[in-house]
Amino acid sequence: MNDVAPIVFVVDDDPSVRRAIERLVESVGLQVELFASPQEFLQAWRRDVPGCLVLDIRLPGKSGLDFQRELAEANIPIPIIFITAHGDIPMTVRAMKSGAVEFLTKPFRDQDLLDAIQLALERDSARRKQDSEMATLRELYKSLTPREREILPLVVSGLLNKQIAANLGTSEATVKVHRSQLMRKMGANSLADLVRMAEKLGIRAAKPNVP
Amino acid sequence: MLISAYAAMSGSYDYSEVARSVLIAILASYAALDLAGRVTAARGWVRSAWLTGGAAAMGLGIWAMHFKGMLAFQLPIPVSYHWPTVLLSLLVAILASAFALYVVSRQKLGLVRALVGSGIMASGISGMHYIGIAAMRLAATFRFHPLLVTLSVAFAIAFSFAALMLAFDLREETKQTASRKIASAIVMGAAVSAMHYTGMASVSFMPSAILPNLTHAASISSLGNNGIAIVTVIVLAAAVLTSSLDRQAEAELRHLNEELEHRVVERTTELVVVNDELKKLKDELRLVIDTIPALVWSKLPDGSADFFNQRFREYTGLPLEEGLGGGWMSVIHPEDRSKFEDEWHAALVAGETFDVEARLRRADGQYRQFLLRGVPLRDELGKIIKWYGTSTDIEERKRTEEALQEAHARLAHITRVMAMGELAAAIAHEVNQPLAAIVTNANFCLRQLANATPNLEKLREAIAEIANDGTRASAVISRIRALLQRGAPERVELDINQLIQEVNVLLRDELTRNRVSLRADLAADLPRVSGDPIQLQQVLINLVMNGIDAMRTLTDRKRELLIKSAKNHSEVFIQVQDSGEGLDPQQAERIFEPFFTTKPEGIGMGLSISRSIVESHGGRLWAESGSRGARFQFTLPTK
Repeated sequence: MNDVAPIVFVVDDDPSVRRAIERLVESVGLQVELFASPQEFLQAWRRDVPGCLVLDIRLPGKSGLDFQRELAEANIPIPIIFITAHGDIPMTVRAMKSGAVEFLTKPFRDQDLLDAIQLALERDSARRKQDSEMATLRELYKSLTPREREILPLVVSGLLNKQIAANLGTSEATVKVHRSQLMRKMGANSLADLVRMAEKLGIRAAKPNVP
Repeated sequence: MLISAYAAMSGSYDYSEVARSVLIAILASYAALDLAGRVTAARGWVRSAWLTGGAAAMGLGIWAMHFKGMLAFQLPIPVSYHWPTVLLSLLVAILASAFALYVVSRQKLGLVRALVGSGIMASGISGMHYIGIAAMRLAATFRFHPLLVTLSVAFAIAFSFAALMLAFDLREETKQTASRKIASAIVMGAAVSAMHYTGMASVSFMPSAILPNLTHAASISSLGNNGIAIVTVIVLAAAVLTSSLDRQAEAELRHLNEELEHRVVERTTELVVVNDELKKLKDELRLVIDTIPALVWSKLPDGSADFFNQRFREYTGLPLEEGLGGGWMSVIHPEDRSKFEDEWHAALVAGETFDVEARLRRADGQYRQFLLRGVPLRDELGKIIKWYGTSTDIEERKRTEEALQEAHARLAHITRVMAMGELAAAIAHEVNQPLAAIVTNANFCLRQLANATPNLEKLREAIAEIANDGTRASAVISRIRALLQRGAPERVELDINQLIQEVNVLLRDELTRNRVSLRADLAADLPRVSGDPIQLQQVLINLVMNGIDAMRTLTDRKRELLIKSAKNHSEVFIQVQDSGEGLDPQQAERIFEPFFTTKPEGIGMGLSISRSIVESHGGRLWAESGSRGARFQFTLPTK
């Protein structure tokens, strides 16, 4: 997963600021790509390349905050670090609520920016890891038989095999077989493991039909 | 007929001859009256000629009458006449006539003079009469009857007196005198005849045996007799005719003279009236010129003064003779003198109206600002014959103007400061951009230097950029500082396009923040204009900010601001157009009024001040509602 090097994307209409950031970020061994406008960035961005976005709030034609919303709407989950020469509190609040990693006021301390980039890359990396885990889980879930999918919510809700059997109107032995198949297919080592997986998949514990 | 030696010879009269003699007497009298008028009217040698000719004609007439009377008397014996004595009698008659004419032609005729005159004249006539009798040569002796002689002399005196008075009275010739003259002539003729025949009656002829001495004697034939009468009548008629012609000519001349005199009087009266009017007019004009509230002067084509009004003399305290010529230049303030002289000489050379301001010294030594203006007066050939001018005191106006300008400058400054306040965020952004780059680059450098093997190439690049960005930040700050300073307006040559670019830099963030895209359409070969860069930037900032405000609520279309510059004849044309709602036509003019605003937070001074700034640069600022949005345009004159 982490074999592709992350890229720090910088969008700022001020070339001088762009080049300064490039120099600083490259000096810590990261790759940098510079853009004067959001459009240029959108053309260069690829979903499979990890990285983060350093975005100026004031941009010609549209504001950085608007662009943040557009990215979210387009399901482009890149972590954003806002930089602005003149920011105010409402602007900061809005940016942070919308999921910005950091909001830096120009001129900023170099370490603050580098730290924010580091954090953003970690977040991106974590998101990407999480995304790939989810994808695996979904694949595993897909391999379950309808009967196994049926008993999964009952298992994670903590019911005994006998109780599950009663709920489904089958025998306890049959439930026991399905349950071990389920655990094996999902790669769950314990019930707790399975519960966590079910949570990730958004499968809620079923309300048992207790007789 | 029987001739007795003792008895007087009885004579008889040929009455037709008597009648003729009376007629001649009347004619002679008429001629005398007529000629008296001529003699009186004439002057100099003409008078002498008239006197001489008149006397001859009149004397001849009287004499002819007498002689006729003598011939009418017939004696039984032949009668001859001693002709030298006859000539003497004629001479006496002429002299008496000359004297009479002379007397009546004098200015005055008193009673004494008339009496003395008539005495002399009577003695002449009587002398002539008796000399005439003495010229008779006949075989008889004369015997005079004393009473009748006396009576005849008395008649002569009375006749002379009457003749003088009548002639004097009638000498002034008018129309009515003609009939009176004829009547008087008849009376006088009768009187002369009466005197003659009385005189004749006083003589008795006694027959004598002694034969008369007939030496130089001649008898008068009837032919000769008639000849005398005819010649006399011709002479008298000629005299009267000449007199009449002369009188007519004189009358005409007099008439002409009178008419001329009348005209002269009329014209003189007219001239007097016109002169009075002219004088009145002149006095009035002088009064106007002296009292109008300006110093009035006139100068000759060479520039030397030849007139100053009273106010000029009073204001400067300069006596007229000192101010004339070039003396008036001394009242111009020394600092203004060379400028004034330049303008004045330029006007003199070009022959054009001039208009210049200068300080003039008052009588108390204080200087006041004046507006001096002059216009040339040309003759029909276009040659300048005079310069007229006024100098008007504009001290108060000048001060008010200065105070107004000062107030304007303050207000302009205040609005600039306010605009800067509104732009604080944008300005902070503009300064923070280069600062951000500087800080970042500097930190990069520090990091490099902390490395064991710093990348020198990268270091050099970063440091160069630090220097550039430092300069950039400083430029922004100086622009802002200039806008916030309150200096005296200045005039420098400037490039409007460059000014527009600088304003764009200042407002870039403000435009970005309001999501306004700015398009600049600037003419490449724009001539430079003379102006105050700060003031003109203020105008541009004001127009751009207004455009931004107008589009703030716009959601259905692009917020676009177009700044255009163009060359237009001798002007530079600048236009700022927004894509907002546009202007209400009724508001298009009102928006330039002070304190008129359509913005909730505006104070309504921006456009008012912008307009006065543009106008103080000799340009115009106006607003139009375009097809889309409002269009603000202004012009500036090029150099």
